[in-house]
Amino acid sequence: MQNSSPSLPTTRREFLARSAKGIGLLAFSQFAPRFLVQSTLAETPKPEKDRTILVLVQLAGGNDGLNTFIPFQDPNYHRLRPTLAIPAPDVLRLDDFHGLHPAMTAMRGLVSDGKLAIVQNVGYPNPNRSHFRSTEIWETASSSDEVAATGWIGRFLDNACAGQPATHDPVAVHISNGEPQSFASATPHPTFGLLPGRSNFHEREETRMLLERFSAATGNPSADASTSFLQQTYMDTLITETKVQRVLGAYRAAQTYPGTPFAASLRNVAALIAAGLPTRVYFVSLSGFDTHANQLSQQARLLGQLSDGLATFQKDLERHKLDDQVVTMTFSEFGRRPSENQSQGTDHGTAAPLFVMGSRVRAGIHGTAPALDVARNQDLKFSTDFRQVYATMLDRWLRCPPTAVLGTQFPNLPLLA
Amino acid sequence: MDRLFADQPARFEKPHSVSELEAAAPALAEELHGTTGEVRRTKLRDLRERERAALEDLSLAWLHFARDPANAATAKWTLFLSDVYVVSAEKVRNAALIYDHFDIIARHSLGPAPRLTKAISRSPAMVMYLDLNQSRRTAPNENFARELLELFVLGEGNYSEADIKQAARAFTGYRAQPRRGEFMFQRRQHDAGPKTIFGVTGPFGGDDVIDLAYRQPAARTFLPHEMMKFYLCDSPLPTEYLVGLGASWQAAAFDLRWLVRRFFTSRLFFATAFRGNFIKSPVQFYLGLLGDLGLEVAPLHRMSLNPLRQMGQWLFYPPNVRGWVGGPHWMNSATLTARRQLVEMLFSPIHEQTLNADEQRALNDARAHATKPFVVDDAQFMDLVGPAPRIVAEQLTTRFLAGDGSGHVVSDLASFLSHATGAPKFAVRRIARAAAALLQSPQYQVT
Repeated sequence: MQNSSPSLPTTRREFLARSAKGIGLLAFSQFAPRFLVQSTLAETPKPEKDRTILVLVQLAGGNDGLNTFIPFQDPNYHRLRPTLAIPAPDVLRLDDFHGLHPAMTAMRGLVSDGKLAIVQNVGYPNPNRSHFRSTEIWETASSSDEVAATGWIGRFLDNACAGQPATHDPVAVHISNGEPQSFASATPHPTFGLLPGRSNFHEREETRMLLERFSAATGNPSADASTSFLQQTYMDTLITETKVQRVLGAYRAAQTYPGTPFAASLRNVAALIAAGLPTRVYFVSLSGFDTHANQLSQQARLLGQLSDGLATFQKDLERHKLDDQVVTMTFSEFGRRPSENQSQGTDHGTAAPLFVMGSRVRAGIHGTAPALDVARNQDLKFSTDFRQVYATMLDRWLRCPPTAVLGTQFPNLPLLA
Repeated sequence: MDRLFADQPARFEKPHSVSELEAAAPALAEELHGTTGEVRRTKLRDLRERERAALEDLSLAWLHFARDPANAATAKWTLFLSDVYVVSAEKVRNAALIYDHFDIIARHSLGPAPRLTKAISRSPAMVMYLDLNQSRRTAPNENFARELLELFVLGEGNYSEADIKQAARAFTGYRAQPRRGEFMFQRRQHDAGPKTIFGVTGPFGGDDVIDLAYRQPAARTFLPHEMMKFYLCDSPLPTEYLVGLGASWQAAAFDLRWLVRRFFTSRLFFATAFRGNFIKSPVQFYLGLLGDLGLEVAPLHRMSLNPLRQMGQWLFYPPNVRGWVGGPHWMNSATLTARRQLVEMLFSPIHEQTLNADEQRALNDARAHATKPFVVDDAQFMDLVGPAPRIVAEQLTTRFLAGDGSGHVVSDLASFLSHATGAPKFAVRRIARAAAALLQSPQYQVT
């Protein structure tokens, strides 16, 4: 049967049509998964050459930019950070003035290999220092005095996916505890969410299988419209989930990922990319950056996870020859205050650097550095608007008119080769 | 019945941040007055942020209120009426006025419907939301008049465009003082001339229009019909039942307490035809989960307000003047995933090291007062360790599906639970996982 069907069934109707030999609805839970697995393994579709993929990595909590991309020669840096400044000899130097946090050796290597760009001092006018609101501004790409109902990725999907034949394969996937606001769109698109980490993998698999049985159990011919609608929604979602879980289970990473939940999420992204899903955007989240106290150890741990995770992901993609298709970028709702506080931590601030990774990226340092001649408790003034980064990604990478998503024109940055 | 709906409808308490901002509003307005340029923009922005935070507090306070079983029936009834008399914080942007609007609804929720409608026409939030503030004697704005007839009292097709134009004239002069949150009637903006509405002519004011509207036959069945759509099902309803109910409701002077009592004790309300085929709203799903699991509303947005938004219901921000459409519109791949993730979140410990500092504070504060946990502990299923899988499966479906689960669900669960062996620690884990799956099931999404 697999040989005669060149691709996976993508809708419930299609699935039922193929399994129509008297198997029926109830058998769905017993036969579908195996059938789908075998198809998945046998018929992995070739990735389309022109389909570019964007991976968004959220550093939730507000990552301290000054101790990530460090102006180690600037006396002001040491003045502002009497206990938190990273000593110059420890900094992983990129040039005579700047370097990365000591935990980021793997990302330092990516710069040397020409795979990592750093955009300095990214922010937006009239910065907001609330986690919730500033995250919303970044995710909806709005100005700070405007509240937008849709996210920038959602609006991209509204534009890019309009008029395409409806399939149930997800066009955007998030690995986080809830759908990011970035994905909110004017018209619904198939999106998919995976919970981070693999610790409860087995339990979640069992839950899914039980849900398949429950969903099949509601199927009786006299079911009313709302019950069968619900059943169909479940089936479509579970079919996607089955497919996704099989892809994740069957994936052979070319690189051993670190044992962190964040790295596991990136491994899963690599697996889904390798399976050739039509997904254009992935969203992964790493949280804990709200370092009001005892920042040194906490941030070192997180930046280490970020660095090792991203570098492994990049190498894995390269070995699978998928690296030409993928660009990864980080963002955080804000940077932190230049002057440290009284608890060996830093408070909410404004602009911060972000990273763009990939084989098609123009590596190195972009943008201009923030002026650090600020008074105590003063904040940095951004020099690159985050929407310039988005505009560049939309225009040069996702091939979507940026103004359709961002409303106004933002100058591109030379981030992509 | 009367235990569910007390004599005096329960009202939820105004959060401190909302009262504080309300008290500070005149001073803030004063401060804003006379400023220009960047200074003004900054002040305005700060004000918006405070409003926004106050609205979040208001949402959490409402969830707390509605979570209390003693208030649940009232809260749902108020939520229904607020889904008829819709205002949105998106446009009103003032937590105190949104609170007042809900309070006006609550206070009049068990009295005569015309009195509720009249009170609503004076709700500053409504006056702002449907542009009565912009309505002048020389240029009446039709927005409120149209929705009054179309969405509040009669329904489409039961009035003419001329009725709307004339009714709009009757509501001229209705004003809201946004910063003080008070209703005012501005006599010199009111058009006191004669109007012809529903074929009757007179120098009508707003209240007269409302009385005239309730004299239209369509008023008898409009609200009962909306009620059925909210409480029972999406499909067309038995019209003969509605007509009879409407006639009696009118005879009872459109008393809402009468309507509630009649409706919730009716055979129709308990009819099996209306069981298990109505998709729960996100609010109902969320509050139902907390109730069924004995949990308290977590003070963290990521565990309460965000999931509601992801499931498609942003409290106090309905998508438009019609409110939430509901029914099948609640369900698509994203909202279904959000429902499932909410269940999994409630079955997982809170990872405190990933919390932001303000979340950690809110959590610690809430813990000091909480009488119930925020997330499930496997141990709460300990009472189900021991009996045969079939018995446990039946108990779980009784607990969570009110016994509505089909035979398949019980036997599927039982076979899953047949692995619930070994040490109690492992057995109870398996039972907790069975519960988590059951709460994600299609059966649990409907009521």
